Amino acid sequence: MDFYYGLLQIIGMHTILGLSAYIVLLTGQVTLAQAGFFAIGAYIAGMLTVLAGWHLVPSMLVAAVVSGTVACLVGFPALRIKGLMLVVATMAFGEAVRLFWFNFDYQRSKGEALVGPLGGEGFKQIRYFPENGWTTGEVATFVWIWVALIMAALWWIDRSRAGAVLRAVGEDELAAQSVGINLTAVKVTAFAVGGFIAGIGGAIYAHYTTHIEHSNFGVILATFAIAYPILGGLTNVVGTLLAVIFIQGFLVEGLRFLGDWRNLLFGALIVLAMNVRPRGLIDERAMLFLRRMFGLAKRGTNA
Amino acid sequence: MVDFVQNTLDGFFIGSSYALLAIGFTLIFGVMRRLNLSYGPSIMLGVFAGTMIYIQLEAGLVFVACATVLGAVLAGIYVERICFWAVGRGAVLASMVSSFAIWMQLEELVTIFFPERTYAFPPLGDFSLEFGPFFIRGAHLVMFLCAAVLTVLLHLLLYKTRFGLALRAVSENPLAAKFMGINTGLVVFSAFALASAIGGVAGFLIASADQQITPLFGLWATFKGLIAMTLGGMGSIPGAIAGGLLLGIIEAQSTWYLGAEYRDLVAYFVLFAFLVFRPGGLFGQRLATQNRLSMQRV
Repeated sequence: MDFYYGLLQIIGMHTILGLSAYIVLLTGQVTLAQAGFFAIGAYIAGMLTVLAGWHLVPSMLVAAVVSGTVACLVGFPALRIKGLMLVVATMAFGEAVRLFWFNFDYQRSKGEALVGPLGGEGFKQIRYFPENGWTTGEVATFVWIWVALIMAALWWIDRSRAGAVLRAVGEDELAAQSVGINLTAVKVTAFAVGGFIAGIGGAIYAHYTTHIEHSNFGVILATFAIAYPILGGLTNVVGTLLAVIFIQGFLVEGLRFLGDWRNLLFGALIVLAMNVRPRGLIDERAMLFLRRMFGLAKRGTNA
Repeated sequence: MVDFVQNTLDGFFIGSSYALLAIGFTLIFGVMRRLNLSYGPSIMLGVFAGTMIYIQLEAGLVFVACATVLGAVLAGIYVERICFWAVGRGAVLASMVSSFAIWMQLEELVTIFFPERTYAFPPLGDFSLEFGPFFIRGAHLVMFLCAAVLTVLLHLLLYKTRFGLALRAVSENPLAAKFMGINTGLVVFSAFALASAIGGVAGFLIASADQQITPLFGLWATFKGLIAMTLGGMGSIPGAIAGGLLLGIIEAQSTWYLGAEYRDLVAYFVLFAFLVFRPGGLFGQRLATQNRLSMQRV
């Protein structure tokens, strides 16, 4: 049973990571910085619970606010550029954050042992869950409460005026600008919200693994973060969740019996999925089909 | 002062290999306007093909070089067919994600057949030059000379042949090129193969200067090529050369003055600053401001 709880936790954390990239992608910006914000959240929350002895939830929120603030500060200069240049710039930022933690030492003695982040060796002993006697089932529930909260919030944003503004910027910047939308404000806000969500995900991740190091937060993780919403489709938050289940549940765990050959098939299946559904697993047409099925849209309406 | 000049020299020579990686990247970006994350891993496949015939058949340097380039070209063609040709034009992001997936595939393939951490690679130019207080490694000198010759050849190919004209036309405006009767698909395919071949040469030079290779080479090569290309200006070949040399010099200086652990941090910082304040890089400003394609949404 613990195995399934563990899998649920992984899927939950990756969903949060994917959702943090989802909101940025809605505005048409492709970011490879999410792993950096994930790392900021992980390290800050870990330091607050381990070194300052805080409760988990406030330290998660503080970590998320810090990474959201960093996202806001980086967003102003970075979002002046677009397209592939933004991809490279955000990748540079994400890698710079990773290397910052690689060079960051701050240790204090706790009991007999020294705890805290130690450069290349990473940050060990983030033992909040075992120290407070949380079972894996409780941790999984905790993770999924956060997933549900974030998904509900994004769903609500999507259906509100703010969602229309985000999508307007994502579809056509010039048209959005000409109806009086402040492009910079919208993009930076989306980026900051993405940073905030990634910070929450990172904070949970740090306490889940109990040992984080800089190499956990490389460009691979950043690419996964944008791969989920792209594979899932940008029509709906559920697409991201489906893509995470497809990648983490089916491709990573389900194909584990293949051993070393797993990644070969993994790559092939992702390429196949991108070929068959270039606009994502849940694209506009699939969404329309689902809405018709549940009687939410009449036949003959267009996507 | 002596240190500074020596660092600059070291950086300059190492930078010439970064310049080659960046040229390959920039060729692909120029004709496709898409990012190929699998560029480094496909070079890595070539380098491992080279090391395989070196270890198993004890082949000479020329054969190892041929195998490296051939392997890189074959892997590059595989990447092009799967991630770029099959995915279709409009879907820039789908291509990027696919090339990332193929990267994982190639890396897995290499680690299955080469489970050790490092493998030996035949050395090149085991001599060194000294003049005055300065010192140059032979391998670096050979690296620089090969890069220079290759750049001249590439220049001739691009500016003196019909194929070069077609390639430049496609990278300027694919649709107009197609209307002029250019087989754009074939040009894109050849540009990809050419870029992979250049990458293969770069991989061979780097591996033989280090005399060893690891499966991490793919990630490393993608990053160095990408940074050097962006510093110089995406899609510009003189820019790729300047960017590669600049990256080499920045790395050598920051290693000397700040320590090796800050080398990459400084490189990323400079890259970020460049992108924000001068998105066109050293030579690509015209491209960035006038040619909307490079700033096109993905």
